[in-house]
Amino acid sequence: MGAIRAVIVDDEELARHLLREYLRPEQDIEIVAECGNGFEGVRAANELSPNLMFLDVQMPKLDGLEVLDLIDREIAVIFVTAYDQYAMKAFDAAAVDYLLKPFSQDRFRAALDRARRRLAEKQKMPDPVELKAAASPPGQYAQRVVVKDGARIHIIPAEKLEYAEAQDDYVALHSEKKSWLKQLSMTNLESTLDPARFVRVHRSYLLNVDKIVKIEPYTKDTRLAVLMDGTQIPISRAGYTRLKELMDID
Amino acid sequence: MHPILLSRRSLFFYLVVWIPLAETAIVMLSLAGHFSSKESVALSLPLTLGLAVICLSPFYMCRAMPFDRTPIWRLLGTTLLAAMAASGLVLATVNLTASEFDRVLPGLARRAAPVMPLMALVCVLIYLLSVGLHYAGLAIESSRRAELLARDAELKALKAQINPHFLFNSLNSISALTSIDPARAREMCIHLSDFLRTSLRLGERLSIPFAADLELARTYLSVEKVRFGSRLRVSEEIDPACADCDIPPLLLQPLVENSIKHGIANLVEGGEIRMSAHRNGKGMQFVIDNPFDPEAKENPDSGIGLKNVRDRLATRFGAAGKIEISVEQSQFRVTLSLPCEHGRSI
Repeated sequence: MGAIRAVIVDDEELARHLLREYLRPEQDIEIVAECGNGFEGVRAANELSPNLMFLDVQMPKLDGLEVLDLIDREIAVIFVTAYDQYAMKAFDAAAVDYLLKPFSQDRFRAALDRARRRLAEKQKMPDPVELKAAASPPGQYAQRVVVKDGARIHIIPAEKLEYAEAQDDYVALHSEKKSWLKQLSMTNLESTLDPARFVRVHRSYLLNVDKIVKIEPYTKDTRLAVLMDGTQIPISRAGYTRLKELMDID
Repeated sequence: MHPILLSRRSLFFYLVVWIPLAETAIVMLSLAGHFSSKESVALSLPLTLGLAVICLSPFYMCRAMPFDRTPIWRLLGTTLLAAMAASGLVLATVNLTASEFDRVLPGLARRAAPVMPLMALVCVLIYLLSVGLHYAGLAIESSRRAELLARDAELKALKAQINPHFLFNSLNSISALTSIDPARAREMCIHLSDFLRTSLRLGERLSIPFAADLELARTYLSVEKVRFGSRLRVSEEIDPACADCDIPPLLLQPLVENSIKHGIANLVEGGEIRMSAHRNGKGMQFVIDNPFDPEAKENPDSGIGLKNVRDRLATRFGAAGKIEISVEQSQFRVTLSLPCEHGRSI
């Protein structure tokens, strides 16, 4: 087995230092990047093709869960966090392991062994998006959606997201007259957003109800939602039932 | 619902209190009013029972018209009107029962008519007494609640003090420092212990000098500085005249913690926390500001720390203690204005 390529993502210099120190005796692991924030972490993950990532949860700009959201390759993730009761539950299910700060070198080695085993078995890693969904606190919805735009990362606040449109394996996110593609299923996107604001009005459309100006009849069973800028979104019969329920109209 | 009606026990004691009053009424009527003992009972029982019921009603009126916040003429007018209405109601009941008893005790209603004005006066006086007692009861109740609130705010402040994130992250920094720089690891242990010990000690007190609370906030900052390194910068502009103003303990540390948690920690390059304090007239002002990332995710718990400070200022200084929050572009600022009191440090 070749060397394991590892990336450390933590905003605290001392925390990174500790990981580096614990990794020093491990001959088979090579540190390919050390990142002080989420943006750098995403870039390193996508450019340096590492297979192991030590990921802090609370960081500036992008938090650990959002970093997962933007990595589009399989990677073994070991979360390193001070205290996060929700994340812990998810780690049991999806991540390779989690380390609670402060942790001993023995505990660290145990996590590494688990990662090595996973990588050696060529076991399928959990999809980062699933991992993120599992690690998000229940009852708390995403306040923003992160998308990759070439090498750049774009953050769309939920209140500025007008609608999302399914396109094969992607969803197109429309916000302020622009659109971004994100590799994600509509159902996954729907589950992370606040259901009091976003309604699946159609199999292929998820709509922000705050952006609707009016609803017009279209065919016998369908309607059209007209948005502020004139965009028309089809509403299916089932979608209209859901919309009525939410907006409290007859 | 009236608190007396909430438990059988208190209702029982309330009714027991009326027994001597009923007895007095019976004796007075038979001695002074020349009624037979049966007649006195027939008049006194509805009178006292009616009063016992109607004297619970001021509870609602007193609650609706707080004593210190209602104009005196309204207070007197409403109370007198209510007293007269109550008295009318009770006398109507007495009259009704008296005519009901007409067959057994002939002419009772007619012979009772001359004592009615006196009874009306007694009813009004007893009703007024009940209003007074209700106001006294409400005052005791509200002072007890204020005390509970104050203690609750203290407890919450203390709990917020020892934030698990802060503690675990600090311990992790110490763990990292032990091999890189043992002397700094030891130094950080000392800062952390200082902070914990001092907050426990000061937290028990009602008031401490501003200087002592500022010192505690500085100790907190020195721990966080190790963790954040060059990302956390601090500048101070403190007027020495503020040093001995008395404030509730642990008022400043939550503000500093807030600046780090929702400001500095979300910035890749970090930033500067600026603290300033100066006297103005009889009061003082403390200002803390920090840069923040307007695009950062909002923490679900943001605002709890500030609400806590606001509550504690209000319990201690009432309207004289103010907290103002302003956001300008990417700068967050909290201003505390409070009276500068001396000699309350205990």
